[in-house]
Amino acid sequence: MRLTPLAIILPAGLGVAGTAHATEYLTVPQAQKELFPTADRFVDAAVELSDQQRDQIKKLSGVRQREAQQPVWRAEKQGQLLGWFIVDEVVGKHEFITYATAIAPEGKVLGVEVLVYRETYGYQVRDAKWRDQFRGKTLDDHFKLDDDITNITGATLSSRNLMNGVKRLLALAKVALEA
Amino acid sequence: MADENLFGYVKGAEPLPKGAREFYINITQRNDKGTGEYNAHDYGAEFEYGATDKLALAVEVKGMGIDTSGIVIDGYLPGPNKYSMKFAGIEASLKYNFMSAARDDFGVSLFTALNYLVVDPHSGQDKTEWALEEKLLLQKYFLDGQLIWVGNVHFEATRALRYAIDDLPPEFDWPTEPEMELEIGAGTGLSYRFAPNWFVGAELLYVQENETEVGLERWSLQGGPNIHYGGEKWWATLTWFPQIQGGGETYPGQPDDDLHLVEKTKYETRLKFGINF
Repeated sequence: MRLTPLAIILPAGLGVAGTAHATEYLTVPQAQKELFPTADRFVDAAVELSDQQRDQIKKLSGVRQREAQQPVWRAEKQGQLLGWFIVDEVVGKHEFITYATAIAPEGKVLGVEVLVYRETYGYQVRDAKWRDQFRGKTLDDHFKLDDDITNITGATLSSRNLMNGVKRLLALAKVALEA
Repeated sequence: MADENLFGYVKGAEPLPKGAREFYINITQRNDKGTGEYNAHDYGAEFEYGATDKLALAVEVKGMGIDTSGIVIDGYLPGPNKYSMKFAGIEASLKYNFMSAARDDFGVSLFTALNYLVVDPHSGQDKTEWALEEKLLLQKYFLDGQLIWVGNVHFEATRALRYAIDDLPPEFDWPTEPEMELEIGAGTGLSYRFAPNWFVGAELLYVQENETEVGLERWSLQGGPNIHYGGEKWWATLTWFPQIQGGGETYPGQPDDDLHLVEKTKYETRLKFGINF
């Protein structure tokens, strides 16, 4: 077979592909401390969602709940529930974006932290100003880009999926955590 | 989602964001006309810049190499030709985004390109060609963006002038008057992210060539799989794009009369490699 430029370049390109690595901005304990600074205890409260609960989440938020298992912690201070700390992943341009959302017992967002983000553009999702837009949001809010949540240029899909993810977690809290 | 070359031949509707720059190279191998030897390579080095959040500008320098022998097509391929690479032309293009697939649920952009070529891409002979291309780009995300559909419709008007060649075969027709050609086409592609950074997909492209004197001259349908790797700083896309079916004019003795092999080939493979900075 004739050796073409394609045959030379392709293996080289695929070889370099293996060098991608993760950038972790916050660990789970660090994010817990950021979102619930007054908490003295985080209790593992991971949930296993039934198909019916996943359907309810989709119905309430309009967003598909991809996974049945959801990592959740109860944030407590002296035994009192401060809120729920939920770690989640959404689809980014190339990789999953890992983030955490703090939700108050009455079902409103206390804060959002991005733990892992590895895209070419859109690092503004980590800016406090952008994340602060979610503070106080409930399931009754619009959650629409360029309406109540600012779009991030070059990372519109990431912005939209993070926004939808937070809304979905509010629905998850209502369906599976607020008892 | 910023501009992303998930496909080798069809284009997505998302533009580069304002201030973003991308440099990429592409290499296309075209080979096998059913008779003799035909192996051509197209090379492109492109720089794209996000002028605004909706408008991206690009310029591409093109090159070409060819190795052909044992095949003569009257009016198109005068005989053996071989060189590894020479300057083939330049393309200036812009992409304007009307609707974003991520923000508005359905993406719509318009792509305009002006091409100036100094080499005939089929025979490798010298030629002056101007071409204006308009392409409508459509895009839709499914599964939160894990599955991406794109659709293209394009129109291209070309004015070409060939130069006289010495030692043509007897009775060989090699017109040196200006020629006009109109090309219309449509393409579609589907890409699925099967693992972090990795996408697999398939694309189809239908093209028909029309000439003022004969109307519909030839048509072709190409299609095949692709694989794309997209990282934080660079990406690469490889597409295997054989001709599935074709019609219209054939050359005398053409073994596969259900393919368009006068100007096209049985097989194409394209590799793109891009760097974001």
